[in-house]
Amino acid sequence: VMDWVKTVCLVLWVFTFNSVADDLKEHALKLMTDTPLIDGHNDLPWQMKSLFNNQLNTVDLYKLNSTHTNIPKIKEGHISAQFWAAYVPCNTQYKDAVRQTLEQIDVIHRMCHKYPEVFKFATSSQDILDAFEQNKTASLIGVEGGHSIDSSLGTLRTMYQLGVRYLTITHSCNTPWADNWLVDTGSEPEAHGGLSDFGKQVIREMNRIGMLIDLSHVSEKVMNQVLDISEAPVIFSHSSAYSICNHKRNVPDDVLMRLVSATLTHVHFHIHKAYVLLAGSSIIGFGGDYDGVPRVPDGLEDVSKYPDLVAELLSRKWSDEEIRDALGRNLLRVFREVEEVRDHQNGTKPDDIPIPFKEVQNSCRTDFGYQYASSSTCIQSFYPVVLVLTLLNKLL
Amino acid sequence: MTKYPLIDGHNDLALRLRMHFKNKLSNFSIHDNSNFATDIRRLAAGHVGGQVFAAYVLCTAQDKDAVRLTLEQIDVIRRMCTENPEMELVTTAEGMRNSTKIACLISIEGGHSIDSSLPALRMFYQLGVRSMALTHNCNTPWAESSASLYPNYQRKNNSLTDFGKAVVNEMNRLGMLVDLSHSSWETARSVLKHSTAPVLFSHSSAYAICNNVRNIPDDLLLLLKENGGLIMVNFYSSFVACSHNANVSIVADHFDHIKRVIGAESIGIGADYDGAQGFPKGLEDVSKYPALIEELISRNWTEEELAGVLRLNFLRVSFYLFFKNSYSLLSCSQ
Repeated sequence: VMDWVKTVCLVLWVFTFNSVADDLKEHALKLMTDTPLIDGHNDLPWQMKSLFNNQLNTVDLYKLNSTHTNIPKIKEGHISAQFWAAYVPCNTQYKDAVRQTLEQIDVIHRMCHKYPEVFKFATSSQDILDAFEQNKTASLIGVEGGHSIDSSLGTLRTMYQLGVRYLTITHSCNTPWADNWLVDTGSEPEAHGGLSDFGKQVIREMNRIGMLIDLSHVSEKVMNQVLDISEAPVIFSHSSAYSICNHKRNVPDDVLMRLVSATLTHVHFHIHKAYVLLAGSSIIGFGGDYDGVPRVPDGLEDVSKYPDLVAELLSRKWSDEEIRDALGRNLLRVFREVEEVRDHQNGTKPDDIPIPFKEVQNSCRTDFGYQYASSSTCIQSFYPVVLVLTLLNKLL
Repeated sequence: MTKYPLIDGHNDLALRLRMHFKNKLSNFSIHDNSNFATDIRRLAAGHVGGQVFAAYVLCTAQDKDAVRLTLEQIDVIRRMCTENPEMELVTTAEGMRNSTKIACLISIEGGHSIDSSLPALRMFYQLGVRSMALTHNCNTPWAESSASLYPNYQRKNNSLTDFGKAVVNEMNRLGMLVDLSHSSWETARSVLKHSTAPVLFSHSSAYAICNNVRNIPDDLLLLLKENGGLIMVNFYSSFVACSHNANVSIVADHFDHIKRVIGAESIGIGADYDGAQGFPKGLEDVSKYPALIEELISRNWTEEELAGVLRLNFLRVSFYLFFKNSYSLLSCSQ
């Protein structure tokens, strides 16, 4: 009899557990139907490059099964908005990083254009909401690594024109104006003590044009210096909590506390571990880094699994409001504030002071434009000779 | 000219901004600047209603930082044209036609700017670039220049490679004008045979009047006519007179000659101000265009012919190409 009772109890317990699990999943899905899930970082465009050399005509995103991401999984995962990473490796720095980045920006546009029933290209917080209304996945662009702008504010501005809405200040290499996270591991020498003066120009110009500043991959000093000077809230598009897992790609508690300030900034947690609320739910979001990493957690194998993570949070007694905040409302708030800072600075002129040449000199860089001294006497003495040479060069 | 404000096909003010001001627009007085041939006051005096500004980078940047430099030139032109109330940036023929200000169009001067990348070309289009010269004074890996200043990418009998044809196809598809100024004649011939859209020479003159390789021989002019394209005459003294002494009359000779060969409807003006030192007497800067028009009137050019030269021919050629919204091809936000 006891066995029978035990079996019944076991069966009942399993049944209850399953139905509780089902309830949670159902609850998660309901929340995800009324609030957009905005994921901060997905590297599918890099997979397009490495697997297919960006030849989208040879790919069917409905059927592709060698990546974490494809269209059916996006639908199942209820992803309402995605920042696609326009990423190029660090070994393109001082070579063809700019052109390669343009190619990644182009492939994102083309992907969006190829599947208009699924993707809606977006460049604003309002665009994200509009796409959600239309049951499409808003597609945004984030450039992953300051090396992509080749120390040029003009390039930053033109990338904004092309729809780019965040720049990750570094990838895993120093730029001529900012240090990356490897500096904190000791495996790479620090170059700038955080941000150089030009690095600060970059931050201010990003505030002025309304580009989100992404601090994933930067060194701790850069995190703090950016938080010192940025007028707008910032994001970590794909980083997690250092106190749970002490990897230098993660964010230490003291920086997390700085995020919870009047300007309310935002962290997208890597889905590598479950995370603990430290500073309140107002700073949290999702940044899966799918297709950018080789190993992901059991139960979160691909982009269709977000609802399971949400269900897990529900089982840990996260409230509906907290979940909605993390899904997308926090990001939307930050994005709107960044747009407001831009609008507020509307009259300000673009920054046109170039990086000092000696900070950026390399064999692939011409010094065109730097030869002419700013003093007028210098110009007058050089003018005829240099002008003739340049023009002889320009015209035949 | 009040009735038909001029659309000029090529101006290098952006080059001056780079060379003398490192693109620091704040240090440059765009309204009135006697150091250069171009400023807003004189553009207005010259009755210029539209100007194609060249985003040009030196050939020595090929295979180095040409792409980034080009983005910076595009950025400086965009800033110049959006920060001054007298100017506005346009990206369509409609916009050019209807503008009541000085309408700016952005062009790229040299295929080395795209670093042999069709995506880069597409992104330039999205940034507002509406014309590209296939080469400047250097060959690209896929097209040949009229100049032999640089040793790289030289070829025989392959003046436009398959990739070069792919570039032309993509420009046709996007609606970007193919500009053959600076290309070799062989490259120009290949393009004229291959392109499905009208092309242009944004700043070249008549070889029959002055035999400089930057100018266009009559047989190419005839191919251009078949293509439905446009030759926009360059004013630079060395190109119009084959010497440093030139005047309005010799420039007008080029117009007369080209009209004789292919008709006034194939002609425009691309003076190349600020792209060179040494312009004809009477045509020293952008305020002097009316002097040329007066000369042509005295040579019995009709109002219809002059209206064509001043703007209608350009609008016709470019209308075919870029009447679409610049973003509709690349994004699905509509």
